[in-house]
Amino acid sequence: MLIERQSLAQEIPAVAGQETRQLCEILAALGFPVDGVSTTEGTDVLDVDITANRGDAMSHRGMAREVAAKLQQPLTPLPDEGVNEGAALVEVRLESPACPIYATAILELGGGETPEAAQHFLRCMEATPKRLAAVDASNELLLRYGHPTHAFDADKIRGALRVRWAQAQETLVTLDGLTRTLTSQDLVIADESGPIALAGVMGGDSTKVTAETRRVLLESAWFDPKTVRAMARRHSLHTDASHRFGRGADPAMARVARDLLVARLQAWCGAKLQGAWTAGAVPQAQSPIPLSEGLLNRIAGEALGLDLAEASLVRLGCQVARDAQGLRAVPPSWRHDLTIPEDLAEEVLRLRGYEHIPSTLPPLEGPPEHLAPAYLQKQRVARRLAQLGFHQTVTYGFISPEVDAPFSGPANPVEGRTLANPLGYEYSVLRGSLLPSLQATAEQNLRQGARQVRLFELAPAYVSSPAGPVERATLAVVWGGILGGEDYLSPARAVLEADLTGLAKDLNLPARPPVHRLGEGLFGIEVAVADLPLPQDRIIPSFRAFSRFPSVERDLSLLVDLDHSYEALHGAMAAALPGDCLQDLRCVDVFRHKNLPEGRQAWLMRMRFQADRTLVGEEVDGWVASALAAAESLGAKLRA
Amino acid sequence: MDQLLPTEIIEAGGAFPEALAACGDLDALLRLKGAYIGREGSHAARLMDLLKTAPKEQKRDLGAAINALKQQWEEGLKARQAELETAKKTRAAQASQWDPTLPPPVPVRGALHPLNRLMDRLVDVFRPLGFHVEEGPEVETEAHNFDGLNIPEDHPAKASSDTFYLAAHPELLLRTHTSPVQVRTLLRVAPELAKRGGIRFLAPGRVYRKDEIDPTHSPMFHQVEGMLVGHGIGMQHLKGTLEYALRALFGPHTEIRLRPSYFPFVEPGCEVDVSCPLCAAKGCRVCKGSGWVEILGAGLIHPNVLAYAGIDPAEWSGWAFGMGVERMAMMLSQTPDLRLFFENDQRFLQAMGGLD
Repeated sequence: MLIERQSLAQEIPAVAGQETRQLCEILAALGFPVDGVSTTEGTDVLDVDITANRGDAMSHRGMAREVAAKLQQPLTPLPDEGVNEGAALVEVRLESPACPIYATAILELGGGETPEAAQHFLRCMEATPKRLAAVDASNELLLRYGHPTHAFDADKIRGALRVRWAQAQETLVTLDGLTRTLTSQDLVIADESGPIALAGVMGGDSTKVTAETRRVLLESAWFDPKTVRAMARRHSLHTDASHRFGRGADPAMARVARDLLVARLQAWCGAKLQGAWTAGAVPQAQSPIPLSEGLLNRIAGEALGLDLAEASLVRLGCQVARDAQGLRAVPPSWRHDLTIPEDLAEEVLRLRGYEHIPSTLPPLEGPPEHLAPAYLQKQRVARRLAQLGFHQTVTYGFISPEVDAPFSGPANPVEGRTLANPLGYEYSVLRGSLLPSLQATAEQNLRQGARQVRLFELAPAYVSSPAGPVERATLAVVWGGILGGEDYLSPARAVLEADLTGLAKDLNLPARPPVHRLGEGLFGIEVAVADLPLPQDRIIPSFRAFSRFPSVERDLSLLVDLDHSYEALHGAMAAALPGDCLQDLRCVDVFRHKNLPEGRQAWLMRMRFQADRTLVGEEVDGWVASALAAAESLGAKLRA
Repeated sequence: MDQLLPTEIIEAGGAFPEALAACGDLDALLRLKGAYIGREGSHAARLMDLLKTAPKEQKRDLGAAINALKQQWEEGLKARQAELETAKKTRAAQASQWDPTLPPPVPVRGALHPLNRLMDRLVDVFRPLGFHVEEGPEVETEAHNFDGLNIPEDHPAKASSDTFYLAAHPELLLRTHTSPVQVRTLLRVAPELAKRGGIRFLAPGRVYRKDEIDPTHSPMFHQVEGMLVGHGIGMQHLKGTLEYALRALFGPHTEIRLRPSYFPFVEPGCEVDVSCPLCAAKGCRVCKGSGWVEILGAGLIHPNVLAYAGIDPAEWSGWAFGMGVERMAMMLSQTPDLRLFFENDQRFLQAMGGLD
């Protein structure tokens, strides 16, 4: 909302002497931060941020009320225009509780147009003066006093006015020229011909004021906020009027604004009042809201006391009474946001200034809770991977169905994971796997010239279920490009599938996860975080004795078929060796060469033995011979 | 005496020093040695043969000359050998030595994502105050995301223009804030709240809003929610906790400022500013010269939120806050474009993320 300094000062003279910067600070302290200040036509215009609950503050008068309460300075009284009401010239029937009051008047317009001062004000508000007195006056009034009004061309209205619910499929051409098809939840102003305005949102084209208009019928009513909000949303019509009615206008302003509008037209273009009247009445004031001293002091964090509360609330326009329980405040007609005791307490603190709130740490009432194992698990694995040289990524949770499909499989149909209103097709399904996102990120990095990509992500993957997508905390890692070759000691080589298997081993995965080939030299693994082994409960595990006797190492170079199973060979050899003395058995080199018999390769198997005694050469020779025999039984041969 | 020796020997003798110098390694020296003083076919061997056949009266002088020559050669060879051996040792020593200023092999470094790192830091900061971490699903019900938070039924945030909904499950949506974790947690602990002495937790996580992707908007971003429920909790406790936490985060001289604001799930509500951590509140581009930057929204939990979870607002009260992680990360790092956080260029991650 734009606020023009001098116009604000007209409502509260005390701010006339203040610097704009000071004024901004006062407004911010009241909960209305100023987003920016611009100088328009020689005056400062403040762009004030107003929260959705404060429709009452969306005007110069509304802002002035707040500042006046804060500074304890008087507001300029609203002008009493002395408009006398008489008999209705046109019957106005209020047929819905959504419009309890409708003040109106008919004027015969004279010559003359919007005065320069009003045009200047409108320009400062970034509104274009229409040079039609009735239209400009209504706009000026709204921005100055916050109450939306409307002027109809009185000669175009046929018969009685009804404020009623529209019938479904009725149509109305609004001022913007669009034909609106109405529903039974739309509140309209109608005459005998049908709807002529969307109540509180926008007038109709058929009755709009033009340069030819001779007589105007003014509307200054009050419409139910919820009804107006729904209409504005339904018709995507967010107007100055709908903003104010939608957030709650002041019903007591209906007559006042009508009078102000009448007086403007009289003054600006010599209009002659033919009659003014009001249908309905200002609705009953809200019921009183209680505030106890205990609640006030608990919220405030100090003993503020009810006297201060009463004084503050009175300054804000509340009617306050005291009783044994504390005080009871009836909010002013413009404050629809005050409904519960906490609201009143907030007002007291707000006027006093939040800077006065004391500061203290809350006492601990029970033992703190531990961090959940699932959370710690994610922290731990993220740190481990970062230590190993991997970069944590954050990618969107939704992807294109095409890239999702190869990784999710038929058991996880996309239908259960599809968004109703995605940003676009490529963001339309909740991903069943993190790998497509990581693959795209890796490829992007490689395209950008990275020699090597090491990426991981911890995020939910989604599994379709009848009850909706089920989230599974998931870890995915991708690795690709060239390892080493960046210093004189580390030879360069391509990242291989085995590197991912080794990584899985480092993470202590219970089962070897499948390694996905995501592209040339790009591999990925994906596991559920729940499948990662939890660290042991014990800080330090039980002591396990280890031998201090020397260990013995023996190598066997075995010729095996190119498609021989290492797992089978390892199993057979290990089974043939004494378990209590075998420390380690593993292939430490694979040799493939054209000099080897065709279809064969050489595996260098290394055995390490250790026992609680010094091992004797002969017994180790015996073991190695049995291991060899076991290997030979599977088709392996000792390499000469 | 030289006239006693054959011409080619005299010439060989004259060429010796040059030949010796020309020996670049021990092998060459060995060949030279063979040529001059080897047992057979060498110059020295030929001289010995000459001596045997020389007339008697010449033998003495000739012998002396030969010995002088041989000694000269032997000494020369020995000295050169020592030289070459030393040179070889030096080279061998050099071969196993590397210039320490050569770029060494460096262990690889990865990085946590800067957003995760920031969230982790927040958790670290609140841990000493007894806060733990609660996590909730990203696919939420309308009830948890809106209704349980006192958000009116016709609130614009519920519109499909603002919130992502599931096609097959119209009641499910992608949470628009971390606040539904409040609702879930309160519902869960409500029956045991007295026994456990209230609750205090943080809820970091990813949230979704239907915003197009541009330098300041993203359909997915992160928030950290904080909540505390206890007896007699007021604004002073909110202020005290945030003062502690924001000082831990930004430094001991940090000041905080509360300004009234409005969120449906708190009452009173406030925005919290922190004295600009980049310019020590002197005024800079980030704080637009004001010395303050907005860091989070907070307030006392609305009684309707407690009541929804089955907690009696007459007995219990509390505060809550919500913080935008990207906003804070961008402010602290001066990152010009939000999209960088989701692009995941390793150079960005390496520079911005790191590992504590």
